[in-house]
Amino acid sequence: MSILVANGLTHWFGSEVALESIDLTIDTGEHMAVLGENGAGKTTLLRILATAARPTSGRLEIMGLDALRERKRLRRRIGFVAHAPGLYPALSAAENLEFFCILQGVSRSRVTEALALVGAGEVASRPAGQLSRGMQQRLAIARAILHDPKLLVLDEPDASLGSDGAEVLAAVMRDRTVVLATHDHALANRLCQRTLVLRHGRSVGTATRLHIVQ
Amino acid sequence: MNRYEKASAGAVALMLLAAGAIFFYAPTDALQGPVQRIFYLHVSSAIAAYGCFAVVLLGGAVYLRNESLAADRLARAGAVVGLVFTTVTLVMGMIWAKPIWGTFWTWDARLTSTLVLWIIYAGYLLVRRLAEPGRQAARFAAVVGIFGFIDVPVVHFSVTWWRTQHPGPIIVNDALPPEMLATFLFTMACTLALAAVMIAIRYRLETLADGPMTEVAKVVAAVNAREAEPVQ
Amino acid sequence: MNNTIAVALAVARKDLRAEWRTRELVPALAQFVVLALVIANFGFQIDSRNAPMIAPGVLWMALVFAGLVAFGRTFAAEREQASLEAMLMTPASPVAIFAGKALAATLLLVGCEAVLLPALTLFFGVPLSAPIIAAVLLATIGMAALGCLFAAIVARVRARELLLPLLTLPLWIPFIVAGGQAVQVAMGASGTYDQALALLIDFDILFVVLTSLAARFVLDE
Repeated sequence: MSILVANGLTHWFGSEVALESIDLTIDTGEHMAVLGENGAGKTTLLRILATAARPTSGRLEIMGLDALRERKRLRRRIGFVAHAPGLYPALSAAENLEFFCILQGVSRSRVTEALALVGAGEVASRPAGQLSRGMQQRLAIARAILHDPKLLVLDEPDASLGSDGAEVLAAVMRDRTVVLATHDHALANRLCQRTLVLRHGRSVGTATRLHIVQ
Repeated sequence: MNRYEKASAGAVALMLLAAGAIFFYAPTDALQGPVQRIFYLHVSSAIAAYGCFAVVLLGGAVYLRNESLAADRLARAGAVVGLVFTTVTLVMGMIWAKPIWGTFWTWDARLTSTLVLWIIYAGYLLVRRLAEPGRQAARFAAVVGIFGFIDVPVVHFSVTWWRTQHPGPIIVNDALPPEMLATFLFTMACTLALAAVMIAIRYRLETLADGPMTEVAKVVAAVNAREAEPVQ
Repeated sequence: MNNTIAVALAVARKDLRAEWRTRELVPALAQFVVLALVIANFGFQIDSRNAPMIAPGVLWMALVFAGLVAFGRTFAAEREQASLEAMLMTPASPVAIFAGKALAATLLLVGCEAVLLPALTLFFGVPLSAPIIAAVLLATIGMAALGCLFAAIVARVRARELLLPLLTLPLWIPFIVAGGQAVQVAMGASGTYDQALALLIDFDILFVVLTSLAARFVLDE
């Protein structure tokens, strides 16, 4: 069963093309990695898949709904970790998450669960601005799963996670469909069944257990 | 001559006719003398300016409703033409004010709200230029346009009310003898026709400007695509 | 509906809590308005006779500039933008988010007014009375709604420091006309206070409704 079907996704920034006619199908429960150099269009693609941005043209269907029209409904079931964590530095880790629980309409008990899952339990009462980059990243990931989304979109979450980063990601990704952008080929192979490679905004193909010889 | 050239020629001809009426048909005002003739074009211009803003409002509202690019283009065209007419209104107002009131400027309701209209137009066009082109610029501008359109009468009303608290220079009497009224109505019709033609031309220009950029972009994309090599 | 209010209050509480912990904005605004009063004294040659005529003008000018800073900041920071996007990815309605931020910004400006009004009384010897406070508070509501809406627009646009006053001030004029008149009358000038206050209320209703309707077009992608 396909949870996500994309046809001809294209995106322009002014007169510059960021994505050129991307076709993509993702099955429920699948973990897909998106590889590519900086500027290849990974972030643009992920934002579109997470419904955080609209493509200039193309069709996108998520969970059977037209992603361009039903964004509000879909966002309840999508979790997105953007490039920038976007946390509130003056608030504690727990306060940040509690705030989003109210926005998501979920119970505050999710906060402790989510913090435990990403291994950030000890820093719950420390101001988010004082946390290390890696800890902030974990917090952003925790925030993305508060509402238990079916689809999780992660934009380079591994960048500063640290040595047990892969375990944290694996735990978070379990039982969810995931699209993960990364530079780390080994991580992509370890966590994901399929990989999509982007170059200059175009898809160069998808492969299973890709071994890049570069 | 294509239809735009014909329309322009027609509009100019109408304006020349209006000028003839203003200078040769309308009588000289007893109180203010010949300078009063500015009034015909000044007020017509003001009405055209606010009319253009109505076009901006309409285009913006329709765009917000269904993201119609044509509506957005129409709003853009209306804003540019409207700014021109507002400038003309202000300048003529100042030229008229000096011999009549002895000062180039006074903070009465009409001058104040025309100035506010000018500032709002300028803000609208700046937002269009500075925002990310496409959806963002169109949406932000539409919101600015809607608020601006509502603001002008509110400002006018506020200043009028304020003037009841602080009476200022007496506004020129608007009662018009029939020849003056006829001249005014004719001039107003010609000016509105001119405004409509200008908007149509501007709309066409905007359509052409939108088009080639997409073509250029497609060519650029094709060249980039040829450079990318498939991964083995 | 319930959730909308809960979200708005949560957003406001979050902004206020952040400001309380960092204490950046309100002290800076307070210092700014006091400085403005000091400069006005030298610029206008204020004495006890002309103070009631000049003080209202000084009050509104200080308020306008403080307001531009306060509302400009609600959406300004980069971090703010990334967080705003995270908020919009939730089911929370953009109107609720906007209302929460406008509410917080209003309260912060009111905090600044709590310094401005007494300082005005102290420096210029004009009376501080309930009618003056009422007029200032009512005007603040409408100015906040408009200021925050345009701040949200301007945040994503270049040259925002130039653009925010350009867009916002024309819409603030009715508030300043009515509010200025109300304060002048309360300080002893001629005219009606009640009409001015009624106008402020009308403007508040008009623009709060309009900004609520416009919020979702401005905030969402």
